[in-house]
Amino acid sequence: MEPSAFSLSGVVKEFPGVRALDHASLNVRPGEVHGLVGENGAGKSTVIKVLAGVYQPEAGEIIVGGTRLEPATPKTVHAAGVRFIHQELHLVPHFTVTESVFMGQEVGGRLGLAKRQMRQRAETFLRENLGLDISGNRLIRDLGTAERKLVQIARALIDGAAKVVVFDEPTAPLASEEVDTVMRAIARLKEQGIAILYVSHYLSEITDICDRVTVFRQGETVGVFDAITDASAADLIFAMVGREISDMFPAKRHRKTSLGLAVTGLSDADKFTDVSLNVGGGEILGIAGLIGSGREELVDTLYGLRRTKSGSVFFDGTSLRIATAAQAVRQGVALVPRDRRHDGLVLPMTVTENATLATLQDTARVGLIDRKAAKSATEDQIKALDIRPPNADNVTRLLSGGNQQKVVLARWLSTNARLFIFDEPTVGVDVGAKAEIYQLIEDLAAKGAAVIVSSSDPVELQGVCDRIIVMMRGRNVGTLPATGLSIDTLVAATTGAAKVEDLANAG
Amino acid sequence: MQADVRGGPRLSEIVGFLPLVIFVGVLVYISLNAPNFVTVRNLELVLMQSLPVVLVCVGLAAVVMAGGDDVVSGGIDLSIPATAVLSAGITAQMLSLDYSLLSCALAALLACLVVGVINALLVTRVGMTPLLTTLAMFVAVVGVNNVITSSRRINVDHPWIIALRGTEIGSIPLGIILVAAIVIIGYFAMHHTRWGLNLQAAGGSKDAAEISGIGVNLLISHSFVVAALTGYVCGFFLLARGSGSSPGVQDNLMLEMVLATFLGAAFSPRRVVTMWGAVLGAVLVAAISIGFKSMGVNVFWTGLIKGSLIVVVVAFSAISQRVR
Repeated sequence: MEPSAFSLSGVVKEFPGVRALDHASLNVRPGEVHGLVGENGAGKSTVIKVLAGVYQPEAGEIIVGGTRLEPATPKTVHAAGVRFIHQELHLVPHFTVTESVFMGQEVGGRLGLAKRQMRQRAETFLRENLGLDISGNRLIRDLGTAERKLVQIARALIDGAAKVVVFDEPTAPLASEEVDTVMRAIARLKEQGIAILYVSHYLSEITDICDRVTVFRQGETVGVFDAITDASAADLIFAMVGREISDMFPAKRHRKTSLGLAVTGLSDADKFTDVSLNVGGGEILGIAGLIGSGREELVDTLYGLRRTKSGSVFFDGTSLRIATAAQAVRQGVALVPRDRRHDGLVLPMTVTENATLATLQDTARVGLIDRKAAKSATEDQIKALDIRPPNADNVTRLLSGGNQQKVVLARWLSTNARLFIFDEPTVGVDVGAKAEIYQLIEDLAAKGAAVIVSSSDPVELQGVCDRIIVMMRGRNVGTLPATGLSIDTLVAATTGAAKVEDLANAG
Repeated sequence: MQADVRGGPRLSEIVGFLPLVIFVGVLVYISLNAPNFVTVRNLELVLMQSLPVVLVCVGLAAVVMAGGDDVVSGGIDLSIPATAVLSAGITAQMLSLDYSLLSCALAALLACLVVGVINALLVTRVGMTPLLTTLAMFVAVVGVNNVITSSRRINVDHPWIIALRGTEIGSIPLGIILVAAIVIIGYFAMHHTRWGLNLQAAGGSKDAAEISGIGVNLLISHSFVVAALTGYVCGFFLLARGSGSSPGVQDNLMLEMVLATFLGAAFSPRRVVTMWGAVLGAVLVAAISIGFKSMGVNVFWTGLIKGSLIVVVVAFSAISQRVR
């Protein structure tokens, strides 16, 4: 049997209606960095929670250091020496480095706390184990994100009992120049014989730092790759995606009819810099990018939800002012937000009330809502969009995800919006409704609207859009034409496994 | 990127300092205009006057540190002054019925603990926001006290209570020594024990504390009980200061408590509510009250000025959080 720091085998985890893990397995050897990759929904987060003891699996076993954990609870997992570096930092801004490292595990002295001892231990640990020379008295809020990440790592490892460390997207919030700091720290931990499970969407990091990689797809382990080099990325992507593109997508009949949106050198305060893009009336532009790439912030900014620092935004040759969302709406911008339950809909209100929120000025007379007009307008939309059940008085909360999304759409369709921004339009939507939403997007473009689709689903982007821009660490790193674009290539560009300019030249 | 990281806190530090600057400015103005304001005798008077506020500030600081310093959703306990008045009312009423001081003190302690525990349960178990919970409790507890004392003044001349005001040990008033001891114990518990650090962690970031295995709700409960205890002790100082229990003291006490505690954040190097900051804030607020009095400023104007200062302090704390 091969040596193993920890292993999962035959793990099954079901949620109502979904099998999130289907006999998944994972085996990490001592002193190796083991990558775990897979698309969104492949089961990576679920397997981390099973390993953490947060979820109890229906079947399967977890073995750490040769001992089977039965059952695996947060306590037994911690006692076995497994530590988690969560994606969120979870630090108190006004605490010092020392206080943060020892939070919840303070060392007592004869009188109160052994403050000096704690400080020396924290500083020594950060310097020698993670390569960060820093005073224990500095406040967290004065540190950069990479330094905070190292403090978070130190907190998990300071007790010296760690044998296995699980990193969940450790570089997602970092700027590219900060990534190296964290990568070097992880390399040091590996030298100390600690087994590391490295979960990330950034394939370039995976191929840089990992010795072996396990690929998940739809809750199953579909491959374990040895001898990882930069050239392995293509194999990983093939294993991750591995599916046929279905004929969910409508034929692209729209044609560019007007100048549309032209964004030049747009920057916000911190999340993205110098982004330029354009999408004509009658065109569909895709935006690809991982979490932390600035994609979501870019979309929010175009809709006036975030402040811009510099850059210009024009629509059909005239300046578009997007300081606030209300301003954006008045000038014909429509957003279908990613979190529709939170941002897109007032769930306790009826379909009519939601559908007419943006157009109240049209259905209202001297400030009073004309309920009859509002309802009949909504009933037309319900018919046009095939919202089910077709009842304008239904409370929106009771509708399925796909139908809720259509209600959000109904609101904007009744305005005379010129620019539609779809942010993750089909998250949590079933396959049938997906196809309908794609058709609606196509119809909008065919009628001459400029459409932007921001999505984490490469298949969706390729299927719906004309061109796709790729966001990475706050910058637009290039544009890919959708025609003839393979999903693998798009994933390679989004995850940093390949440079967009090389792909565009090759294509 | 780096410039942003360093530039942010600096701006927020400047904004965080402004309330302090305004306060010191007002004090300088007073000392230039009021004769004999800066004398040992007068400063002792200021300290004596500030003792009840200092005590409740210690309690409020504990609650804010455990619950976070967001004025609306964070930790706050407005009921402490009411608890103090209840403590004073029960003691005065029972003394007037010829109970021993010990039994009065025990009865008052029990009543105050009940208030603290109810606060804690409502906030941590029922999940109510501290602001609304403790505001309601403030009203309720004052109501209970009105029932007990029939809302009238009760004179107290028990020598032990008067000693809090009159007796001196080596020329330092006993009251100041006792309160200083309580403040030092509070400071030590908050900054030099595991409990205190965990309490601060709970208030600083609830998620971070929970992930580190800290029982956040238990610590929040502790803070409400500590607050009730400071209110309890404060009750005796109210009796000493007023030679008895009189209705209505709680209103001004609450105002000065909130003002002093949040003003205190300007003293802390980390710009957060701390024990020392709250105590210094309490002394400053008392100095201003007395200063206005010795300048002969109309009492009604004093209320306006204090209210404005609260607005200024809270506004700057909100601004400094936003620019942070």
